[in-house]
Amino acid sequence: MIKAHKIYKSFQSGAVQVLKGVSLEIADGDFAVILGASGSGKSTLMSVLSGLERPDSGTVVFGNQDITAMNDKQLTEFRRDKVGFIFQQYYLLSHLSVENNVKLGADLAGNKNFREIIEQVGLKGKFKSKPSELSGGEQQRVCIARALAKNPEILFLDEPTGALDEKTGREVLDYISRLKSERGFTMIMVTHNENIAQMANTVIRMNSGEITEVYKNNSPKTAFEIGW
Amino acid sequence: MVVSLKDSIKLLGIIVISFCAVFVCTFFLNFYLDALEIENLVTEQTRAMYEAQLATAEFTCAISGSVLAAIAIVMLVFYIKLYIDSHLKQIGILKAIGYSNGKIAARFWVFGIGVFIGATLGFASGYAAMPMIYKSLLIDGLPQIEIGFHLVLPLVLIVAPTAVFSAISCGYAYFALRRPVSSMLRGQVRFKPEKQKSKTATKNKEHSFLFVMCFKTLGGKKSLAFFVAFACFSYSAMVQMGCSMKRLSTGFMGIMILIIGVVLAVVSLFMALTSLIKANAKNIAIMRAFGYKMKECALAMLFCYVPFALIGFSIGTVYQFVLLSLMVNIVYKDVASVPDYSFSVPVFFITLASFLILYTAAMAIYTYKMSKISVKEVMAEN
Repeated sequence: MIKAHKIYKSFQSGAVQVLKGVSLEIADGDFAVILGASGSGKSTLMSVLSGLERPDSGTVVFGNQDITAMNDKQLTEFRRDKVGFIFQQYYLLSHLSVENNVKLGADLAGNKNFREIIEQVGLKGKFKSKPSELSGGEQQRVCIARALAKNPEILFLDEPTGALDEKTGREVLDYISRLKSERGFTMIMVTHNENIAQMANTVIRMNSGEITEVYKNNSPKTAFEIGW
Repeated sequence: MVVSLKDSIKLLGIIVISFCAVFVCTFFLNFYLDALEIENLVTEQTRAMYEAQLATAEFTCAISGSVLAAIAIVMLVFYIKLYIDSHLKQIGILKAIGYSNGKIAARFWVFGIGVFIGATLGFASGYAAMPMIYKSLLIDGLPQIEIGFHLVLPLVLIVAPTAVFSAISCGYAYFALRRPVSSMLRGQVRFKPEKQKSKTATKNKEHSFLFVMCFKTLGGKKSLAFFVAFACFSYSAMVQMGCSMKRLSTGFMGIMILIIGVVLAVVSLFMALTSLIKANAKNIAIMRAFGYKMKECALAMLFCYVPFALIGFSIGTVYQFVLLSLMVNIVYKDVASVPDYSFSVPVFFITLASFLILYTAAMAIYTYKMSKISVKEVMAEN
């Protein structure tokens, strides 16, 4: 369970208030989507929940650990042990091969079977390819493999299909949700795409740094059933 | 346009190297030209010392001038490459809207300004230090050599290097800009294709991510290894030479060499490590986001350069020993008052100990700098 309580976060010495007292709860194994327009604070909220950023005030409790009370070293340990990331811009290490990019995540979990994951994401035969030799969809698959190779308890996704075309986007979403069902990790996805929210169990809508709506979705759709 | 005057002033390494090279060459060349004017006053007793002084001036100018000029050229080329790689998108846009490679490359002449600044400061400082230098080079039995001004020196030491370095900047930029606009707009830095290894070799050698990262970081920035080695070479050679010069020549010369060595070493190391961290900021950010500890990030980024630092230090030790042996045994062989020179073991160990302390401190500072890289800021740049 992730519990955030009255999170405030500002930038430029308080001049820009990005999060204004956000509170939420996400159950273990949940697929939560944080929905909002650009500038609504959803990416900042994800950064705070994942321990990439500290809030100005408020608490984020993961299980029984208050990550907002952790020092830098403890936060690093927390991310190392619990968290995986998939970013819109991929952030692959451009000078490393697919295999070594995935190893970045795998080594942290002592996972020796990372090549199977690369194969599972459909990149068999691309082990030695550099990111620049791959299409956008393939690069995003490398990101997925890198995140999954560290066996995260919670996976954060920041607009994972934002840079992909419809067909590839659907395939990526379908693949991620299937893996989520198989492995049972918690998944929190940030997106501005209303359609993707239909795949989630929990939808959190944000506007101007505040949560305006939270609802449960009893019959989530698959990636191929949603609109685009 | 992409390149501005501000970018040239950022070339601290080149400014300092130009300063050091021109500083040394100014007073030695000036001394050489002034000393030639009193040649008719040289007696048989003073001839050996006089000729040795002239040979020293020639030798020092040739060695320090050429070595430092070569280093500055490598540094300039490296900086331009780094500059183009980090401004690919902006330059790509210029190319896309119709600017030719030549037109963009021509703007890179401003990188010669760094040389102009360093050379001018070096020239002025060389002149300012000249009375002390002349005093230390005074030859018994000969009249005091008057300090003269030789117009050829500012032309050779300021104008010519500025022009040459500006031309090199434009030429190299033109060469480096020859790549497809589409890949520049995508921000794709060029990589050499990796040699395919056999399957068995891959299976037998399963290296950890940190090992691979360390190795690839080094492979991707080989020129930085050169600068790290040069920094350690400068420190080792100049500090040991400075200490020996105190015995062989004057204290002033010794201290001057020592200061130049330390300055060159610090600036080169600073430049190399800053470039390394800057070029790898995104990689460090990703590693930190995934939970790699600072110690591990430092290991992946900085550790691979340690062997080069030690190689540079070793070469510096040999270099200063050979150079001083040549000076004493060949250039000054006919001068009676020059003491014997032998390798100083205590000076070597003191230099090594201080080097290890400074190098470790530099690593600690840059590890701290890495810890200050904001993961979110780096990611927000895209």
